[in-house]
Amino acid sequence: MDPIEQFEEWKEQASHLWRVAMDHLRHVPPTQLYAAAAIVVFTTVLLLSRLLKRAKANTIVLTGLSGSGKSVLFYQLRDGSTHQGTVTSMEPNEGTFVLHGETTKKGKIKAVHIVDVPGHSRLRPKLDEYLPQAAGVVFVVDALDFLPNCRAASEYLYDLLTKGSVVKKKVPLLILCNKTDKVTAHTKEFIRRQMEKEIDKLRTSRSAISEADITNEFTLGVPGEPFTFTQCSNKVTTAEASGLTGEISQLEEFIREHVKP
Amino acid sequence: MLEQLLIFTRGGLILWSCNEFGNALKGSPIDTLIRSCLLEERSGAASYNYDAPGAAYSLKWTFHNDLGLVFVAVYQRILHLLYVDDLLAMVKREFSQIYDPSKTFYGDFDEIFRQLKVEAEARAEDLKKANPLGGGVNKKQYHKAGSEGGSVGGRKSSNGALKNDGGDADADDAGGKKGHKLENGHSNVNFVAAKDANLKNSGSVNGKENESSNIGAFDVNKLQKLRAKGVNGKKAEAKVAPKAEPVKKATKKNRVWDDSPPEHESKLDFTDHVGDDGDRNVDFLAKEQGESMMDKEEVFSSDSETEEDEDERKNNKPDAKKKGWFSSMFQSIAGKTNLEKSDLEPALKALKDRLMTKNVAEEIAEKLCESVAASLEGKKLGSFTRISSTVQAAMEEALVRILTPRRSIDILRDVHTAKEQRKPYVVVFVGVNGVGKSTNLAKVAYWLQEHNVSVMMAACDTFRSGAVEQLRTHARRLQIPIFEKGYEKDPAVVAKEAIQEATRNGSDVVLVDTAGRMQDNEPLMRALSKLIYLNSPDLVLFVGEALVGNDAVDQLSKFNQKLADLSASSTPRLIDGILLTKFDTIDDKVGAALSMVYISGAPVMFVGCGQSYTDLKKLNVKSIVKTLLK
Repeated sequence: MDPIEQFEEWKEQASHLWRVAMDHLRHVPPTQLYAAAAIVVFTTVLLLSRLLKRAKANTIVLTGLSGSGKSVLFYQLRDGSTHQGTVTSMEPNEGTFVLHGETTKKGKIKAVHIVDVPGHSRLRPKLDEYLPQAAGVVFVVDALDFLPNCRAASEYLYDLLTKGSVVKKKVPLLILCNKTDKVTAHTKEFIRRQMEKEIDKLRTSRSAISEADITNEFTLGVPGEPFTFTQCSNKVTTAEASGLTGEISQLEEFIREHVKP
Repeated sequence: MLEQLLIFTRGGLILWSCNEFGNALKGSPIDTLIRSCLLEERSGAASYNYDAPGAAYSLKWTFHNDLGLVFVAVYQRILHLLYVDDLLAMVKREFSQIYDPSKTFYGDFDEIFRQLKVEAEARAEDLKKANPLGGGVNKKQYHKAGSEGGSVGGRKSSNGALKNDGGDADADDAGGKKGHKLENGHSNVNFVAAKDANLKNSGSVNGKENESSNIGAFDVNKLQKLRAKGVNGKKAEAKVAPKAEPVKKATKKNRVWDDSPPEHESKLDFTDHVGDDGDRNVDFLAKEQGESMMDKEEVFSSDSETEEDEDERKNNKPDAKKKGWFSSMFQSIAGKTNLEKSDLEPALKALKDRLMTKNVAEEIAEKLCESVAASLEGKKLGSFTRISSTVQAAMEEALVRILTPRRSIDILRDVHTAKEQRKPYVVVFVGVNGVGKSTNLAKVAYWLQEHNVSVMMAACDTFRSGAVEQLRTHARRLQIPIFEKGYEKDPAVVAKEAIQEATRNGSDVVLVDTAGRMQDNEPLMRALSKLIYLNSPDLVLFVGEALVGNDAVDQLSKFNQKLADLSASSTPRLIDGILLTKFDTIDDKVGAALSMVYISGAPVMFVGCGQSYTDLKKLNVKSIVKTLLK
């Protein structure tokens, strides 16, 4: 059958149904009608409020190189345990929950939406989906195996710090040095200094091609001065944690600071 | 023995691991599997081989896409465990019944697993006993295996019992040879490219269970035979090659390889007449051509995107109409329960054809579709979605993942690092004949020069007449120093001297031009391998033309293979990046980019898109993916 003919037929049917419905409505008492209208209004308001709530940024994004311990931190935050360990993530871990460390606290505690984005370079485009809603970004660095990965980590951090969604909204960033339970782990001061140095070098090479690179919309720091994280428009702090032993108090502090209970 | 069996979520949380084995795995096979196989869209392969010091594992896996679970079995490669596929399928079935997203500990699964394993082992034993008797079905299949696997030898045409033994012996043989090959350090990881035995198994499960496991085991056998054949074939090739070589050498020696060429040939070498008056007229500067297109921002208007989307919708509409307008709409509203392979096939076939019309090599399109199918099978289709759009979305994600560079492509950063270490950054351009190595070398030189990097060219194409003059012309126009040593020199030595020269005069980058060579030309590939081994460049750039279709796979894989096989060192240098040339001539047939990146794993670093020095661009992943799926 021709689709236009079909459509005409449908239209006829619809108008007929409409007439029947209107006839029916006239027989219904007005109180019932008002009740129905009230229910409709109530549900729409409820839906709208939920939608608005979602739009408000309360997401904490965990990011960093593959193998730095993001998934472990995620499960430490959620369940207070690493379960039986983790392997390389292929998809983001996502959850809205009350932090495990706060479940024993009294009073009403707001749940936090936490996303753990895989660090594998092939999966980095996923990060852009979550950044617009981010209330805070945690950049996890492996403090134990830092030096071989310093350049890759700094490049990733540079990309992150120059992303439009981060710069415009001034999303606070925490550089979290993970695995500090090990004796040979580097200190957070050392890591901060090394990354500043590395980013300073990146700045010169990236600014040369920044015009071509579509992803880097902003430049970092003050020209002519060595780069420090204090020059960033957003707040950059450093902290230490150990995902394996569950020493994550500084991370929890950061989350609570930016997602108010 | 099975070494380990893991069940984890796609998010990376281990839900259950078999703790009865106790012995820890050497190295990290699971992480390596995920990083270099599952995330590279190679999950359509049947198994994955992992080599750690002191251990050689084979890994098999299966997905439960709806629940987002991954099941991985690890076992010693020398043991050809027949029951692994079977066991994985059973574990998948049993575990998906007790899986609960909020639960993270499954202590009670230990008992179930033990039973499953005993069952699977018993079935494998039965199979072994049943095989020599040779049931009608078995025989038939073995004959099929013989014809499918190619005639390996007269042995294959004898009766079933003998064949089984032969198969085993072959497999062992293959294992031994492989082990030997690995000792040489030629390849640490190899994929067994064969249809997923597990998929086949589940497809024919409706028969008797015993029979189905037979088929599963048969698949494994066949696979091993194929593998054995592959190894044999390779060996044969290797045997033939040295034979062929001396003959070739005898004919070509006079011209190229000999240290003292005949008198009259020196006349061919005109390179000493640098700065002849005749050449003067090309001396004007090319500096005024404006900035290289590498630096220009590409603006994509959102208008065109939406337009394309609309076009797409229009294109898709007739498709849907064919199936019956109403039923497909009903299905899309209700949402289908679970996607099966048969549901996906038409959509995948259409997608594969579309990819192939865009000049993606057939092999690659096939593998990609298999991998997408593996990632979608068993998934629930959401309401208001069509299968074709779901498949398309999955494919798009896969394509973006493939084309996103795995390593940094910030060459300038690398150049600065090299500068700090006071040594020149060496880039070697390799590729087949006539793809535009010299032209694009000049473009790269121009781009680097624009960013205040001092460049030096090295003319190591000592093979083709006129190559040095061509490069010299470029050098003069760009006012770049060029290092040349005429035609009859060994390119590896020329490159070495060029790098020394660059270190002396403080050049930051040395761009080494090499002669074009076909991937099958053994002597030339050996020379290239020597050049790379001797000079250990910072970047080996493969120059390939975007016009190439199925040959892209052959070119890149052979280049990589030859560089690995012919190298003298134990850790050979492979291709680090790709320069795609003639990109302006192909319109929307951009498939070569995908084929090349998929087969080599190296990112596309530059795209040559015109005749002038400024026509060098970066690859825009988004636009490529959009064009591929248009």
